[in-house]
Amino acid sequence: MTQSLFEFQQVSRLVLSDVSFSIEPRDRLIIFGPSGSGKSTLLHLFNRMDDPETGHVLLQGKPIEDYTITLLRKRVGLVMQQPYLFDGTVEDNLRFGPDLFEEWQSDEGKRLLELVNLPKEFLTKQVDELSGGEKQRVSLARTLANQPDVLLLDEPTSALDERNIEAVEQDLIHLIDQHRLTVVMVTHSIEQARRIGTKGLFLEDGQIAEIGNIEQLLDDPQSSSLQTFLDKS
Amino acid sequence: MDRDIPTYSLLLLIAFVLIPLSISYFYSLGLKKDIIWSTIRGTAQLFLIGLVLTYLFDLPPFIGIPIMLSVMITVATFHARKKGKELPYVTLALFAGLVTIELVVLSMWLGFGMISFTAEEVIPMSGMVIGNSMVAMGLALERLKNEFEQNRGQLLAALSLGATPKQAAHLSIKTTLNAALMPNIDQLKTIGLVQLPGMMTGLILGGVSPLVAIKYQLVISISIFSSVSISAIFISMMMYRFFFNEHMQLLKLEDIKKSANGS
Repeated sequence: MTQSLFEFQQVSRLVLSDVSFSIEPRDRLIIFGPSGSGKSTLLHLFNRMDDPETGHVLLQGKPIEDYTITLLRKRVGLVMQQPYLFDGTVEDNLRFGPDLFEEWQSDEGKRLLELVNLPKEFLTKQVDELSGGEKQRVSLARTLANQPDVLLLDEPTSALDERNIEAVEQDLIHLIDQHRLTVVMVTHSIEQARRIGTKGLFLEDGQIAEIGNIEQLLDDPQSSSLQTFLDKS
Repeated sequence: MDRDIPTYSLLLLIAFVLIPLSISYFYSLGLKKDIIWSTIRGTAQLFLIGLVLTYLFDLPPFIGIPIMLSVMITVATFHARKKGKELPYVTLALFAGLVTIELVVLSMWLGFGMISFTAEEVIPMSGMVIGNSMVAMGLALERLKNEFEQNRGQLLAALSLGATPKQAAHLSIKTTLNAALMPNIDQLKTIGLVQLPGMMTGLILGGVSPLVAIKYQLVISISIFSSVSISAIFISMMMYRFFFNEHMQLLKLEDIKKSANGS
């Protein structure tokens, strides 16, 4: 039997209550549900930006607390809803993570920009000169600079306009495939869930109402709460 | 100095206070009460301190100086504390910071023969150092709280990229210190050009030659500049760590407050 990548055992934290599930390497888990159902709280437990009040999170069979926090966060990268870039140039942002671990190489910036479809001239640009879509791409590249094998995405396109959503989403799908990443993504968009996810987890009032294959979940919901949620979306 | 300011001249100063008072009244600035209260309070405080100083100057320096310095540092600690009372151990950190700075500065002054160990020299000079350090520490605490509240997103981003609290807080501390130290840096840049500093003015009015007055002013200005910088850096470095828990997670100010009250 192969070992799960992440295993949540009866985890409770704030609104989350008694949440148990596991994900395997290269899964693309979409967490969705109404506002306030605990989606972001759950996401932040994967890289210890937050800790459970009760229950356990295991990473490759070992309690997540056994891993060095900084290395865990390097390995489990997070892209937030807002890009939250640091003052300075695009390059300053891209090298922030690698510099912490003394891993920055001079030609890395160009490669990272290529990954998110931005020209290399952007390296010297000040971040306040960038558009919303460009900022989110830089934020994605900044997370990828740490070469994570798990990517946590907290509604990464929700602050973007329609045109940018599509472009950033295309980049994401391409990158996930190319780097064989495991993804855990919070999204409000059912269509985006379908395009990116392989597995779905529907949260309601802090509890898992349904979990399974994303297509099955969206096309054939078993619970009335998920059916109601999908009807409203 | 034999020359004194007549009491009736002092009373005439009230006319000066009437100007901002009238402006506040005509423009409905709502500052009337503050202006009247601060004028009365300031005048009373100064007369009171005048009486206390006269008494302390008559005491042997080894008794009078420690008494006055203790009062100054205690008052400064509790005044600066108001700006960061939500943070745990802030009173202790402020007190320890002010005591250390005062001891270092005083040892330097006495060690290099810049001043003598008399209440007349130690108390006013120490007052300036303690007072300015108090303001800088208060500013630093206030700014630090704002930085951590306003730049929460950037701090979370830095932590999520693998930064330690110290590395993540670096940018916020930099901005905090810039804000806390800038007034002092500006003052030092324009010293003597825009305004003659208070101590120098006092000495010249007291009949001391301008060159000697400048030497004293240099001692105090540089001492203030250094102690203000050290105190702001000290309090920021001591306090930023309370915004994180032992698991390198960013806390909210209300949670820090709760845990400080609980501890």
